[in-house]
Amino acid sequence: MTSMLESGYVFWNPIIWLIAFVVVLVIVFFFRRQGRQDYKKDTAQAQIFLCGEEVPEAEQRHIRADNIYWGLFETLKGYYDQVLRPHTGIVNDYILWFVAVIAISAIIILIAG
Amino acid sequence: MEHIPLNFPFLAAALLVAISFYIIIFKKNLIKLIMGIAMLASGVNLFLVSLGYRAGGTAPIYTDVPEGPMVLAVPQALTLTSIVINVAVLALMLTMVIQIHRHTGSLDSEESRKMKG
Amino acid sequence: MDTLITHSSILIIGILLLAAFLTPLVGRVSERARNILVIGSLAFAAALVFALARDISFNGIHVYALGASSPGLATPEGFMVPVRIVLEVDGMSILMGIIWSIVALAATVFSLSHMSKETGQTRFYTLVLLMVAGGFGMMFTGDLFNLFVFLEITSISGAALIASRTRFADTQEGGFKYIVISSVASLMVLFAIGVLYSQYNLLNVGALAQAMQYTMLDRMALVILIAAFAMKLGAVPVHMWLSDAYSVAPVSVTVLLIAASQSCMYALMRTCFTLYGVTADLTAVGWIIIVSGILSMFIGVTMAIRQTDITRLIAYNCICESGFMLVGIGVGLAVLADPGALAAYGTTAISGAIFHMINHALFEGLLFLAAGAIFYRIGTRDLNQMGGLGHTMKFTAVFFLLGALASSGIPPFNGFASKILIYESVYQFSPILTIIGIFVSIITLAVFIKVFFSAFAGAPLPRYKDVKEVPRTMIAAMAVLAVMIILFGLFPGLITDWIIRPATDALLDQAAYINAIVGAIP
Repeated sequence: MTSMLESGYVFWNPIIWLIAFVVVLVIVFFFRRQGRQDYKKDTAQAQIFLCGEEVPEAEQRHIRADNIYWGLFETLKGYYDQVLRPHTGIVNDYILWFVAVIAISAIIILIAG
Repeated sequence: MEHIPLNFPFLAAALLVAISFYIIIFKKNLIKLIMGIAMLASGVNLFLVSLGYRAGGTAPIYTDVPEGPMVLAVPQALTLTSIVINVAVLALMLTMVIQIHRHTGSLDSEESRKMKG
Repeated sequence: MDTLITHSSILIIGILLLAAFLTPLVGRVSERARNILVIGSLAFAAALVFALARDISFNGIHVYALGASSPGLATPEGFMVPVRIVLEVDGMSILMGIIWSIVALAATVFSLSHMSKETGQTRFYTLVLLMVAGGFGMMFTGDLFNLFVFLEITSISGAALIASRTRFADTQEGGFKYIVISSVASLMVLFAIGVLYSQYNLLNVGALAQAMQYTMLDRMALVILIAAFAMKLGAVPVHMWLSDAYSVAPVSVTVLLIAASQSCMYALMRTCFTLYGVTADLTAVGWIIIVSGILSMFIGVTMAIRQTDITRLIAYNCICESGFMLVGIGVGLAVLADPGALAAYGTTAISGAIFHMINHALFEGLLFLAAGAIFYRIGTRDLNQMGGLGHTMKFTAVFFLLGALASSGIPPFNGFASKILIYESVYQFSPILTIIGIFVSIITLAVFIKVFFSAFAGAPLPRYKDVKEVPRTMIAAMAVLAVMIILFGLFPGLITDWIIRPATDALLDQAAYINAIVGAIP
């Protein structure tokens, strides 16, 4: 079958995955249909509700890219301080890394390899 | 020519390459960086030409070959190609440095950068 | 028709060079004629590539000696070594050619409307055709110095294309960094070619592979070649130019640059598998490439999640995906000398890496084109300024989501098919590599959720209420890549059996490569 990827330890057939996905989708729609269908669009039922608070404008409400994963950045602050230090943006440093890679690979391949 | 040891051109090429890497890595002025790349090109070209030399050889330009060895012709062709390519590359780099100076007013590789991290 | 196939490898490069030289002349006459010339020559080259692929699948390796009395005559009468520039196209080269032709067509069709408001478009298309010709030259050549020349052609036109929009400051900086990196890498490649030539007096890859004896100087040449090609393809720790150059270029140029850096990965594979092959002790080389791949995966994705510039983020994701390919290739190299392990998982690892190369060109191309579509409409690449664009730019949002899911390796798209090949085979070599790979894929999904949420999801912002969908040529270019992503995802077995397996077998078969050139020479 042309959809099947089989090679050594690998077995992957996307058609079977799609069939399983469609089955799950059918179950999801079945559960969705059990819900209430008597809500009125374009009234207060379809607006955002923030416990009675005033909903800010879209400009202020939308979470910007700087703030999305701040928890991750706070936790990994030590790692990021270390990994951002070589990323200087100075083109001379790029060639310094190139010479360093040649030196380390030369030591490994000339002596050990 | 007999009293120059045969390794001398290779030592000169290695010295050129080493000095040019020093310039490229440690000099912050963009024009000096381009000069370093030009010197690297010269070092590699010198290496290519000198690896074709055969002791006592004549220039590879004869149809009726005289006695004795002939210097290899292929590295000379490679070197000419490399010289032409490097002229184009240096012209392009200088154009970009002119534009960088026009936009940022500085020729320093650390001060004129806008992207980091 | 047969003559066309026999001469197809040089015709592909030659027609594109001729079209590149004709474009300024035709561009003076009319814009429409120039566009027809550019797209027509790229389509003709693509048709020739597919015809050549079919011919190679029937008749084996295609050899073409430039200037010889008959195309297959690499070593004429009375000569002991191959003497002309010989183009040698085997299964792996023609796969790279197929990727390059599809990507070049999609990028150029996209740029028909993306660059329609810029000045100097004729020069832009001339440089694009030169770059495509250079890329084909790099993939089809069987001669080391020819590789250097085409590498330089591709790099110079690429750098000029990055810096083509001179009204911005960061494009000049990105172009300058790209040309400095390319120039140093190419000069080091020339140095290594000089070292190899000084020992064996040969420039032809097949003849050199036969004569190779792995002396100390050969090892030095191998080190320099690997480091230079690794810098050109964006492996960590020499990757830092990639995010600068890819983020500021016009996105059709970035798509071409991605495929150009993959042709540098192809050159790395040619050097390690065919030029050196089993004469070298490739376990050390394999481990260096594996370590570089792991670092690329990890540092690429953790830097990507921090970025607020959309194209810079996708560029760091490119580094991460190159890491996957490097891990696959490294595992294949490390077990090259061990036939049992090679048959069990080494071939699968290399197949996974090669499959990931074609998938990477497709989904990263789609991501960059979608980001370019956003830039075309709102004029900024800053994610902090975007929001709620999915309400009006529906097609762009769907294509971006498709590319993002494919890149993270979510079934049933093509990213998952190639990644599962890499995961399962690399697991046999060392389980820790698979664990890091899966972890990195999850963080890749997190990165793209961030981008999709910032740019497309959310309430529509008032300042973007006049933003419409992008023109139809751009949607058509993105749709071509999207359809290929879905097709490659739904029929991975077909693609693997027809294209990827022959490429892997051709790459691992050093003897066939040498025999096609050297043949039965007494």
